[in-house]
Amino acid sequence: MTPEHADIVVVGAGPAGLAAAASLAGRGMHRILVVDRDDEAGGLPRFCHHPGFGWEYTHRLESGPGLVRRLLRALDPGIITIAIRTSALAVRPGPEIDIVGIECGHVRVRPRVVVLATGIRERPRSARLVPGRRPAEGILTTGQLQQMVARGVPVKGRRAVVVGTEHVAFSILLTARHAGLEIMAMVGAEDRVMSYAGAGLAARFLMGVPIHLSSKIEDIHGSERVESVTLCGPAGTRTIPCDTVIFSGDFIPDAALLPGSGIDIARVTAGPSVDQFGRTSAVGVFAAGNLLRAVETSGLAAIEGARVGTNVAAYLEGMLGWPRDAASIRVGDGLSYVVPQYWAPSAGLGGAVQALPVSLRALADIRRARLSLSEDGQAIWTGHPTKTLRHRRLALPAAALDRLRGGDIALRIDPA
Amino acid sequence: MSDRFDIAIVGAGVVGCAIARELSRYALRTVLIEARSDLGDGVSKGNSAVLSTGADTPFGTLECRLVARGHQRYLAEAPAMGLPVMPIGSLTVAWNETERERLEAMHKETVAAGFHSGQLVGADEIYRRVPHLSPGAVSAIWEPEEGIVDPFSTPYAYALDAVTNGVEFRSTCPVERAERRDGAWHLHTPKGEVVADTVINCGGLAGARIDAMAGYTDFVMRPRRGQFIVFDKSARPLLDVVLKPVPAPTYRGILMTPTVFGNILVGPTSEEIEDPDDWRVTREGLDTLVAAARKMLPRLLEHEVTATYCGIRPGTERPEYRIIPRPSDRWLTVGGIRSTGLSASLGIAEHVAGIVVGEMTKGERKLETTAVRVPSLAAGGDRPWLNGGADDAAYREIICHCEGITVGEVRDALASPLPPQSLKALKRRTRVMFGRCQGFFCGARVQALFDRLSKERPQ
Ligand SMILES: Cc1cc2nc3c(=O)[nH]c(=O)nc-3n(C[C@H](O)[C@H](O)[C@H](O)COP(=O)(O)OP(=O)(O)OC[C@H]3O[C@@H](n4cnc5c(N)ncnc54)[C@H](O)[C@@H]3O)c2cc1C
Ligand SMILES: Cc1cc2nc3c(=O)[nH]c(=O)nc-3n(C[C@H](O)[C@H](O)[C@H](O)COP(=O)(O)OP(=O)(O)OC[C@H]3O[C@@H](n4cnc5c(N)ncnc54)[C@H](O)[C@@H]3O)c2cc1C
Repeated sequence: MTPEHADIVVVGAGPAGLAAAASLAGRGMHRILVVDRDDEAGGLPRFCHHPGFGWEYTHRLESGPGLVRRLLRALDPGIITIAIRTSALAVRPGPEIDIVGIECGHVRVRPRVVVLATGIRERPRSARLVPGRRPAEGILTTGQLQQMVARGVPVKGRRAVVVGTEHVAFSILLTARHAGLEIMAMVGAEDRVMSYAGAGLAARFLMGVPIHLSSKIEDIHGSERVESVTLCGPAGTRTIPCDTVIFSGDFIPDAALLPGSGIDIARVTAGPSVDQFGRTSAVGVFAAGNLLRAVETSGLAAIEGARVGTNVAAYLEGMLGWPRDAASIRVGDGLSYVVPQYWAPSAGLGGAVQALPVSLRALADIRRARLSLSEDGQAIWTGHPTKTLRHRRLALPAAALDRLRGGDIALRIDPA
Repeated sequence: MSDRFDIAIVGAGVVGCAIARELSRYALRTVLIEARSDLGDGVSKGNSAVLSTGADTPFGTLECRLVARGHQRYLAEAPAMGLPVMPIGSLTVAWNETERERLEAMHKETVAAGFHSGQLVGADEIYRRVPHLSPGAVSAIWEPEEGIVDPFSTPYAYALDAVTNGVEFRSTCPVERAERRDGAWHLHTPKGEVVADTVINCGGLAGARIDAMAGYTDFVMRPRRGQFIVFDKSARPLLDVVLKPVPAPTYRGILMTPTVFGNILVGPTSEEIEDPDDWRVTREGLDTLVAAARKMLPRLLEHEVTATYCGIRPGTERPEYRIIPRPSDRWLTVGGIRSTGLSASLGIAEHVAGIVVGEMTKGERKLETTAVRVPSLAAGGDRPWLNGGADDAAYREIICHCEGITVGEVRDALASPLPPQSLKALKRRTRVMFGRCQGFFCGARVQALFDRLSKERPQ
């Protein structure tokens, strides 16, 4: 199927986009085109060969490529076309979408619905304003290194320093070992490991990797290739010889299609603002997956995709309209963001639609904190006091949200 | 002897490449020798890419004259080579009464020096042109003839033109020693000796060192570093002119400008450095740039940073170009081309050719030359899938997503008579990996494509 004939164009064939396509087909939709600019479908998980992908969606312990294979097997090629090596260049109100693809050439089409599922990327060294020289070789993000390894591109380095301590930093420890890179150290700006404490312990004690916390890179040395980095931390300044620096984590949505599209961008997440059905502010444009915010697991991204697929079907069948009266969910002090940012009245829609799981983050670690939800000043739900960690998703049960009536909604967190 | 040239140009920066192009118009055997594996890999790769008119250089100097001439020739000749010129104009903004007085005096001097295009404008006009500028600007000089250009393609286009018209290019060929014997210069390089009647030293930061090889010590280098921050293309709607502060006597200050590629650039700083090889961006430098952005165009800071870099001005102990002809020795130094060399390049080339062809050697002007055209890398430029090229599948497959570069463009760059020898050089030729992700998405594939096509290329 060519783009001209598509009713629904899904941009991005990662877990979110593929799950959206599957659920659309499951709801009887046809003429679904999934475009992806890469040379194969699957998104970021394609390059991660360790287990831990898709659990929430598949309830299986699978590697990234394993998850991708499962997602692809679920798609009926008679109904869904996946066009790889095909880029969406621009989205405009309509929705109208410009596409350049190896098969279709350069086209401008007006499908009935566009689903954006373009995912995330890591901030590179430059965006983190890390000082020092800029050697031509040896400065990478984990995403780039992982792709190099997965694609068999030679990784010339031998000794690496990893910047960041989010989950992905530990994922790259495994990949780096596989690529023959010795990890000289991990460096974290925060005062604790941002991933699970166990990951830090394993790195330190099982793999012998020193972890420098509350530390920053103050200098990078080397002209053609990295020769060393200088760290500044509580123990003072130290220079670590290495030929590779891997910048990990610090994810940001790949929101390149948003400017000019009529889609409101949420300031904190830098992704599109959506309501609980994944509707953006541009009529006919839905969004799902990590484009909504950095970062949740691939399993959650897939669940979002699947639910958005359901909602798109409801929209195309005339059951779901475009909201004029969605209320914004205010986040109180101490909270960073909530996705969805809006909650629309949904009385009477019943099982035809599915709300997105709520993705919520606190700004700081709090030893015991209590999350609460109110509407028009009335408490709707109050959670149990729990340990709260920034970077970790805060749970907010769907049942609490079912009680919302479209009033003034506020979320807050208080020390307990 | 097969390796005897009329002229050897040492250094393939924008200056050496422009001179090579100019001399390719004469029936002369010319060689362009470069230490690094690619041209344009020295000072010329790290500048503000503003095409100056000369109105902000010291009046009455050779620099001023050559910048003005270079500007004029660039506007006339660059488009035919495929080089983008965006004449967006500049605003030099005064923020208080003292600055306003300086600005007005500057304007008078500029007019007296024969630069008539600049106009004094008031706050209304300033905010009409830059609505997002911080409040408090009092007056400005609006210079409609200043513009922005592509600093990477410029030396490449010159060199491609030169090579197409008979100049020989030798890369990875550092000159290590020079001696004059048997009426010719013998330049020693790890790739053997190059013999030439006349030498033109365009060595940039190595200018004084190369001169010293021949026994000349007319000047000393005083390198000055300038750091930059490149903001995401999403910031482009904030600014459509070159925004400058009122200059101090020795430093033109931090400017903000769009680039032809569609980003916003903030810089340069100005730091005297001891080591001419100290290509570092520093915490203080970046802080200074962020502070300048916050002061003048605070909304810029809502956007992501795409890149940081620095350049090093090949200044000398005197604030001027050091173009020193030595006709009897047949050695010409083109040194101290400090902070205007991109704008002045075609002016310098004409001036130098005038000296060399008249005073040092004889060469007939060729009747015919072959024109070259480089692909336009500017934002909004021709894309291969837009115009007919789309019947080639390689032009329909984008490999660098942030910059929208196709497999076909990478292939073409590698098939050039001056192919990029490294990934870094490929970036300058095509802009792959130059965008906001810096290789997160495309780095692995681009590397694989580069490795494959480089291997397939007949050596
Ligand atoms: C190194 C690394 C390790 C990770 N480890 C884990 C882990 O252990 N467990 C886990 O659950 N998650 C992990 N993640 C995160 C997880 O892989 C992603 O968050 C998940 O894939 C998100 O799914 P998505 O569908 O939202 O986006 P993505 O998987 O990013 O897919 C987006 C797709 O959109 C395409 N695209 C983007 N823009 C366009 C456009 N304009 N036109 C056409 N196509 C476009 C891209 O090519 C891509 O295929 C890891 C991520 C990285 C980088
Ligand atoms: C911060 C900054 C901002 C600037 N902004 C602008 C601007 O906006 N507009 C403008 O017009 N100009 C600007 N400039 C100035 C401009 O960039 C320079 O004037 C110009 O690039 C100088 O070119 P060059 O050819 O003399 O030097 P280079 O580009 O350094 O060329 C010299 C070459 O000689 C080679 N070489 C050195 N030693 C040897 C050897 N022994 N053998 C062989 N080869 C050798 C080097 O490798 C190098 O390639 C700026 C400069 C800086 C630093």
